[in-house]
Amino acid sequence: MTSALSRRQFAAGLASLPALGVFSTRQARAAGSVVAAAFPNAWEDAYRKIVAPLVAAQGTQLVVSPALAQDQLAKLLASPGKPSFDAVLMSPGQTAEAVSRGLIEKIDPSKLKNWDKLEASARTEYGPNVTVEINGIAYNPTMVPKPAGYKDLFENKAYDGKVAWIGFGSNTAAMAWVEIAKLYGGGEDNMEPVFKLLASHMPKVGAIANNGSAQMTMFQQGEIGVFMASTGNVARLKSLGVPCEFVHPISGSPSVPVTIHLAKGAANPEGVYQYMDAAISAEAQSKLALPPTEMIPTNSDVPLTPGIKSFVSEDDLKKLVYPDWAKINAKRAAWTAEFDRVVRK
Amino acid sequence: MNRNGLPFLLPMLALSLAGFVLPLALLGVFSFVDTSGSPTLANYQRLFADPFVLSVLVDTIALGFKVVALTTLIALPITLLYWHASPALRRVIVFLTLLPMLTSNVVRTFAWIVILGRQGPISQALVELGLAPAPRSLLFNETALVVVLAQIELPLLVLPVMAVIARSDGALSAAAQTLGAGPWRILVTVLLPMMAPGFLAGWVLVFAGATTSYVTQSVIGGARLIYLPQFVYREVGVLFQWPSAAAVAFVLLAATSLIMLAMTAAARHPRLAGHA
Repeated sequence: MTSALSRRQFAAGLASLPALGVFSTRQARAAGSVVAAAFPNAWEDAYRKIVAPLVAAQGTQLVVSPALAQDQLAKLLASPGKPSFDAVLMSPGQTAEAVSRGLIEKIDPSKLKNWDKLEASARTEYGPNVTVEINGIAYNPTMVPKPAGYKDLFENKAYDGKVAWIGFGSNTAAMAWVEIAKLYGGGEDNMEPVFKLLASHMPKVGAIANNGSAQMTMFQQGEIGVFMASTGNVARLKSLGVPCEFVHPISGSPSVPVTIHLAKGAANPEGVYQYMDAAISAEAQSKLALPPTEMIPTNSDVPLTPGIKSFVSEDDLKKLVYPDWAKINAKRAAWTAEFDRVVRK
Repeated sequence: MNRNGLPFLLPMLALSLAGFVLPLALLGVFSFVDTSGSPTLANYQRLFADPFVLSVLVDTIALGFKVVALTTLIALPITLLYWHASPALRRVIVFLTLLPMLTSNVVRTFAWIVILGRQGPISQALVELGLAPAPRSLLFNETALVVVLAQIELPLLVLPVMAVIARSDGALSAAAQTLGAGPWRILVTVLLPMMAPGFLAGWVLVFAGATTSYVTQSVIGGARLIYLPQFVYREVGVLFQWPSAAAVAFVLLAATSLIMLAMTAAARHPRLAGHA
């Protein structure tokens, strides 16, 4: 083969690529797109289908990148000032860490048209809450009886070999462990009773999963019949035709708001504001409140759907439990390491 | 080496340097500093003083050897079939060996969840045959993990051996037979020494693949079987202990490199390299 391209020309061409910005994704995406992290599966799908078109209508492309809250935090920490996401989606556990490490910025609410439509509790200085996740116990009614609460899962033989648990990296799991600790004499600053309970209960545990998504896969495959879940997880499984019900533990349902944050050093802050505004708009939230996501709206113009009301009654709302994340974060790393040692075969 | 070819290697060398050697060197530096940036050996001292980490390291290396052993047991009949096969059948065997590689590792791993699950065909068959009282999950134990990794890594062992066989003289076993050797003697004195370089190359690949396969280890093994890749992930992604994670990553790299170097050195041994 003869080539019209000389070696010198090829080398010159190669050298010019950086000048064209070929290797700079940050430059490329600053032009008219926003990279937003969203939790994998249900959140990711819903944000891509419902929120992204609303952002696109304002001339900005929303790139939804799936990542668990803890992974988002790890990625922000990996390149402070040059974040891999322009916007992140976090709960108070990660938000507190992100604030203390200077990874996210306070927002300017005047840039959000829908800010005044938000419930007062959903307006935070670091971004708008887009929903409140209510956590409890998910169970398969064809496999196990309806659990009354966390204690039932350890003390009733009907659940032996059917319950999955995860470590403290997950918010849902961390909140459940705190509630279980309280039931067995511990609390947000004392997890010893949980580790003792877990160590003695290990032969009867159905599975220990690496994360919430792995648990949902196990549940779908009939591997397990019970796991700690949010109402959103249950709505998603139901929409797939999996027999799955949600139960509020008698000790109360641990709950967390989910917030969009502006990453410090974001390539396109204006685009992030467009994204935040779209996510809290009545148009988006009324669709997100429907199956398969059934997210509890924070926009006061959006009514609770009958589907959401079937998960959360007025009585349940009175029994919501908001954990003390400052206390949990102080010991979370140590508990995560200890959990691995207790559950390891 | 042809010196005139060097310019063509430069882009690849530059890419390797920028994309592999430099990040690895950075990781090395990270492993020798504490969270405030001061130099320290504490990250390594802590690892070797912690029996939990040591047992994770030992389990990871043991997992690699178990997968190599099982993969070899499965690969041997396939490669012998290939040796005896006609050219047409050889093409079919190569195609069937390559077929699983056309799907992603993640997809193959998830397919195994269905196969080994409580509602899966193996569990159901055991119940139907009266060998088990109730359906039970075959996942989340090391045996399952070794089986799944062996299936996933199998092409990496079979293909190098087939490459060696394809270059070999098919009359060798006929000659041995003419000289009075039985089938077992032919296998031990002719075929296995001939295939040895292929097996050694394959073992290096299988060992490296099995010990570092984060997805398969975490999905099939669950969170109760902890190997170094999951441990590193946890240190970085959950605990944010980067210096410690860098040290663990380097220990894993050193351990697997040493074992692979030993295998590679063995492959160069004149007897094993097929020059005896």
